[in-house]
Amino acid sequence: MLHLKPHNLLIQKTFSEALEAAAAGAPLTLDRIISDFDYTTFHISNSPEDKALLWLSIRTKAWQSIATCDGNKNGLLPFLESKFTSYPSVSIPSSFESGYDYTLQIDLKSLDAATVLQLSLVKTLIFNYPFHLSFSEFIELSKQQPVTDDFSMSSSQSTSKSLYTIRYRDDENIFIKPSNDRITVIFETIFQDETDKVFGKVFLQEFVDARKRNRSIQSAPQVLFSHEPPLELQQHQQGSTNTDKSRRFITFVLFPRHFQTVELQFSTVCQLTLFRNYFHYHIKCSKAYMHSRMRYRVDSFIKVLNRAKLDEDDEETIDEKNQPHQRRTFTGRKMVY
Amino acid sequence: MSQSLRPYLTAVRYSLEAALTLSNFSSQEVERHNRPEVEVPNQSAELLLQPMHISRNEHEQVLIEPSINSIRVSLKVKQADEIEQILVHKFTRFLEQRAESFYILRRVPIQGYSISFLITNKHTESMKTGKLVDFIIEFMEEVDKEISEMKLFLNARARFVAEAYLGEFVY
Amino acid sequence: MSYLNNPAVVMDNGTGLTKLGFAGNDSPSWIFPTAIATSQSSNTKKASSSSSSSAAALGPSNTGTSANSSATPYFGNSTSATSFNNLNKNMLLSNNLAGKRGTEDLDFYIGNEALVASQGPSYSLSYPIRHGQVENWDHMERFWENSIFKYLRTEPEDHFFLLTEPPLNPPENREQIAEIFFESFNCAGLYIAVQAVLALAASWTSSKVTDRSLTGTVIDSGDGVTHVIPVAEGYVIGSAIKNIPIAGRDITLFIQSLLRERGEVDTSLKTAERIKQEYCYVCPDIVKEFNKFDRDGSKFAQFIVENQEQTRKKVVDVGYERFLAPEIFFNPEIASSDFLTPLPTVVDHTIQACPIDVRKGLYNNIVLSGGSTMFKDFGRRLQRDLKSIVSNRIAQSERLSGTKSTGVDVQVISHRKQRNAVWFGGSLLAQTAEFKSYCHTKKDYEEYGPEIVRNFSLFNMV
Repeated sequence: MLHLKPHNLLIQKTFSEALEAAAAGAPLTLDRIISDFDYTTFHISNSPEDKALLWLSIRTKAWQSIATCDGNKNGLLPFLESKFTSYPSVSIPSSFESGYDYTLQIDLKSLDAATVLQLSLVKTLIFNYPFHLSFSEFIELSKQQPVTDDFSMSSSQSTSKSLYTIRYRDDENIFIKPSNDRITVIFETIFQDETDKVFGKVFLQEFVDARKRNRSIQSAPQVLFSHEPPLELQQHQQGSTNTDKSRRFITFVLFPRHFQTVELQFSTVCQLTLFRNYFHYHIKCSKAYMHSRMRYRVDSFIKVLNRAKLDEDDEETIDEKNQPHQRRTFTGRKMVY
Repeated sequence: MSQSLRPYLTAVRYSLEAALTLSNFSSQEVERHNRPEVEVPNQSAELLLQPMHISRNEHEQVLIEPSINSIRVSLKVKQADEIEQILVHKFTRFLEQRAESFYILRRVPIQGYSISFLITNKHTESMKTGKLVDFIIEFMEEVDKEISEMKLFLNARARFVAEAYLGEFVY
Repeated sequence: MSYLNNPAVVMDNGTGLTKLGFAGNDSPSWIFPTAIATSQSSNTKKASSSSSSSAAALGPSNTGTSANSSATPYFGNSTSATSFNNLNKNMLLSNNLAGKRGTEDLDFYIGNEALVASQGPSYSLSYPIRHGQVENWDHMERFWENSIFKYLRTEPEDHFFLLTEPPLNPPENREQIAEIFFESFNCAGLYIAVQAVLALAASWTSSKVTDRSLTGTVIDSGDGVTHVIPVAEGYVIGSAIKNIPIAGRDITLFIQSLLRERGEVDTSLKTAERIKQEYCYVCPDIVKEFNKFDRDGSKFAQFIVENQEQTRKKVVDVGYERFLAPEIFFNPEIASSDFLTPLPTVVDHTIQACPIDVRKGLYNNIVLSGGSTMFKDFGRRLQRDLKSIVSNRIAQSERLSGTKSTGVDVQVISHRKQRNAVWFGGSLLAQTAEFKSYCHTKKDYEEYGPEIVRNFSLFNMV
């Protein structure tokens, strides 16, 4: 597996099973916890009133920061609702399940494959919201101040005052900053493990260099990497001076070609929200691969070392000279007296 | 193989061959004990021989500490940068974890070295000394090779992963 | 630390099936074969030129989707909405160095997808666990890697893990597990539990169990082998463990042979297995049961073989095998010629081999676990047979010694979670608040090294 998928396989499977069971006339009683990356937990259960209705609740660490990232417009809930309007079997219950951030109610009678897929993308949809805001802000900004083709671009650049922050992990955040010709997405990362820190450095350097080296991905977003908070952040971060040495910043610069259409926007967001997971997944895969290499090495070293052992055969030949009466069984085993 | 590695390994080989002349020796201090004399704090200096220190450069050194019934061989594996450092650390720890099947591997290296071997007269009685020396020499060669291969792998993998990720943005 | 809210991951890797899920759930989220399909080395050379390996590593193959689709229609995952522009990638990767260099270790499938992939020419299938113990650590590490990231979608750094091990697992294997989980995956915390102990914990859900003790005899019958494991106060009495070479697969084969003898229209292994699962039960007495069948025709059943390609329905009669098949546990001579000891006798021998102080507790709490103990009335029959063995012995000793015995209570516990009892027991324990304090954390591992996992403190649930 090279790429992580944006949808949750287990949600998909659970709903498919529930659907099948309901079709077979034996609806399942569900009370399942399902997890996802970045402190996200789902809960699938039967609605308290009706067994044919299922509830899918989500709790994610990033919820708080996403819900408040638009100031006080409270746009997140309508945004999510709009994502499910075209799926008739999904409705929003009047109140959310306690302990969870968001709940969807699913009618098994009219559930279909496309809906199941959409449901398994809930987490990505939530993460989509701040990106969605910055996409629209980008359009506004670029209308106010169209990009000119001359090289004084940087001077005429107008950036948005707002900075969207997704606090999706304990010490790691995503910052999104729209401006009139680009959107900057900054990942803050920190490594707990010593090995990861070193491996991570190698990986990040390759992310930065990849675009320069490989011509076929020239059109990918530009990637920058720094120890210091990038300029985009500095104006916003006077207060919080978390000066941890191992903190790194990875900046993705999205150009309009990465979010021209709605489909492109969504696929870009899917990739970006999985960036950290993808990156850590591959660090772990490399470590696993090294383990197999080392196991192989250990075996070959032991083989070499065993060559040094005095063979049993050698001893026996000596034995046989001294003790000519040594006898063997038919199968060649030594007789034990 | 680079020019200076050959003489370095040859020097280690001859020194080891010279040092691996061990005999059974009962402890002089504790009755009915028979212990590797290099490993115990020793009152009697006559049991310990002069340690040999062979060094190719700052990063690659071998320390051979002979005694009457045991020798301790400690290697310093080349660690040019942070990545090699962590790889050597991982690799030697992985080996030490399996010290049981290595007979002569010491679970903890001597201070300042990456990995240590302890060869006692028991080992030389059950194994051919020539082959033991071969093993250590081969080990020294292979470890360097393995570390640099792992480093290459890491870079290649990182590159592949980065390109595959960014490739998703190419429309 | 916010990982406190994350559910612990419970993984039960058995010889045949792997059960994966989250603590607190009543059943595993995933149950699939402990199988891994790796790309064959001969293929990797070819892959470098044609980039087929990278293509296979990138998107899940469509074959995987089609094969799974019969069971779970949407479970196959390369649906158009989520896999974007696969077309670019081949072009992209084939012209750079990385495409040519070692990515074979990412190119593999596990579980059901592995079974499907291995039918193609480029993958070879292997089972990393043999006889309950991990044989191939390279494959097992990658199996876990895929389980965690693809199927469970968890970042191991944020979760605690509960793994299971068979009784008499050497401590070196535990250390290997710890090495993989802490060094490769950086998991937050790890607990390794003995399967039999978890099966005991799972029985606490039964209404028959009043005190939550960890003393009892576990009868664990899976597909390959049946174990009888005595556990005292949470510790396995290793010397008394007995194995019976009769388990699920033997029952299936026995049914198949009966079907063949009768010349049924369909005698495939799959049919036999379905019959085993749907129609078999344990009878109190074979002779009486034969008579019952002869008198009452309604006891015979018919099994309709579902066949998608053919419209013609195949009907297989199900007769005496309904009760004969599970009977091989109690009268092995009807199916096997080399193993002849009935299960109740084996259980009795096992308990008699244990220290005398714990025997009462062992007789009193005989817990069933595993799919092959799911037959109706299996527990009742076992209890009856065992009781008669025990009371015979008591009667004899009373006669010989002339004193009155206080009696031994034989109780076989059967409960609803029996099929995945080990996993369920793990889920029960791992959802408790104390669980995390019993785990060894990454920090502990770094401080003390892999040998810390040789000891885990026992759960005290009382």
